[in-house]
Amino acid sequence: MLEINNQYTFIKRQVQTEVLKAFFADGFEQKIDAIPFAIIPKERISSRCCIYKERAMVRYRIMAMMGVDIPSEDDELKSLGAFAASQKGRSLQGEPVLTTIPTACSACPKERYFVSAACRQCIARPCLTNCPKTCITFDQGQAEIDEECCIRCGKCMGVCPFGAIVHVPVPCESACPVDAVHKNEHGYVELDKEKCISCGKCAANCPFGAIVERSEMMEIALYLKEEVPTVALIAPSIEGQFPGTLSQISKALLEAGFSAVLEVAQGAETTSYHEAEELLQKKEFMTTSCCPAYTALVDKHLPQLSGHLSTALSPMAYTGQQARQKYPQAKNVFIGPCLAKRSEAAHLAEIDAVMTFSELAALFLAKDIDVREMEECEEEQKQSWTDCRQFALSGGVAACVNRRSDQKELRVHSVDGLDKKTVRVLSSWEKRPIAADLVEVMCCEGGCINGPGVVVKPQIARKFRQDRQ
Amino acid sequence: MVTQKIMVRICMGTACFVQGGADLLLYGDFLDSELQQRIEVEGVSCLGCCKEHQRGLRPPYVQIGEQLHAEVDQTKFILLIKEALDA
Repeated sequence: MLEINNQYTFIKRQVQTEVLKAFFADGFEQKIDAIPFAIIPKERISSRCCIYKERAMVRYRIMAMMGVDIPSEDDELKSLGAFAASQKGRSLQGEPVLTTIPTACSACPKERYFVSAACRQCIARPCLTNCPKTCITFDQGQAEIDEECCIRCGKCMGVCPFGAIVHVPVPCESACPVDAVHKNEHGYVELDKEKCISCGKCAANCPFGAIVERSEMMEIALYLKEEVPTVALIAPSIEGQFPGTLSQISKALLEAGFSAVLEVAQGAETTSYHEAEELLQKKEFMTTSCCPAYTALVDKHLPQLSGHLSTALSPMAYTGQQARQKYPQAKNVFIGPCLAKRSEAAHLAEIDAVMTFSELAALFLAKDIDVREMEECEEEQKQSWTDCRQFALSGGVAACVNRRSDQKELRVHSVDGLDKKTVRVLSSWEKRPIAADLVEVMCCEGGCINGPGVVVKPQIARKFRQDRQ
Repeated sequence: MVTQKIMVRICMGTACFVQGGADLLLYGDFLDSELQQRIEVEGVSCLGCCKEHQRGLRPPYVQIGEQLHAEVDQTKFILLIKEALDA
């Protein structure tokens, strides 16, 4: 996985922060076209071919931030100000959650193994002996892999005594658990909307930032600017993403303009009870249903598992219902680490918009809010749902269900992270059901604290959480 | 010989924390234990550096002794501490 602190993350956050700052000030539609120039000044040493392309990329990132689906809606002659006007008030909910910036794509060549100059031209040639297709040739002793017949098994790389054979993957394609990322006839990235489960792994792994989310940030910023009552529904994984305690994070959200804050751990308790009860009626294994990328996987790719999927709604959905009861006039904004939640929220009347922690970080920066300086709440009262904050961690969902189950010795199996391999394992369960009662499925390895929209590395999030395991 | 420990202040302002500063708080894992004994680390409120943002400099900021440093990542952190201790 791409290291979270990288130049792309920094520039993306800078773009979001500057756009929000301009939005909260006056004359946004007149000023927005100047932002790419302010972020990429003339004297900058470009990390792409030139500053002009960098500016164009900033423009596309701003369009994605406004929710534009770039391949289908790009109009190079249309100004950002005009996009801001036409996107305003447009409901963005639904697919595609992810969009691409074809001109940002580096058109990476097909995944390959290749022999580097470190080859010592040895006479043992274990690469050749161990190649199942015998497709290594030698030019004056120097090994070469025949691309045409190579099946990309990687055996040669493992046996080379000099470590001379390297694997060059295509990061977006190898990160996708369902083969929804491919290249068009010109070699640029394209997403297959029919296959995509909106997990966001491709976007998190592309080192060129060519796959981006269609954000709902500007819609949320509009609620805040126009002082529309807006409830922040904070995912259990928020603890540890910002300096300071949970109560300080809540205070910071109120400071940013939200009218109330609800913890989604509350809804997670309802999910846990529902799943504990449902388990009693299951003859075979039951899988959890809180991860929207996994439910999309079942829907689109593994319909044979649909009978095993819990019918419990997600914590976000239950908390959304609670928020509607408590604040019937308010907008509900889910704040989490997840991109797939956007796709789930599109089908839920109780959720009006979704934002990621990473976007929230930009909002705090734009509004100059320092979380750690917020007043701290006096001693927190333990609630019946406090333990459900563990929904953010692998193993945590199953633990919460287990605690609420009457069944003794619940057999739990955890699927910690979806990739091509785990998807194959899941698909084999139709013929050979797994010997477990409850299967917890997390699309992101380690749980939601490793989602595509997080701010800090999972190790750090864990360090700052009360419930660290 | 008793030497004075060097004060290391890691900025915990939101801007620093979300732009890589959080990584430095894992110093217990990535810094030599011998070096750790010679420094006193403190997470501090926003040092205010981001506000008087100079072009080209960006968070996270760290203050080692009296000296302020920008764009500190784990590798740079180790290097700066070694330098400060040798000085």
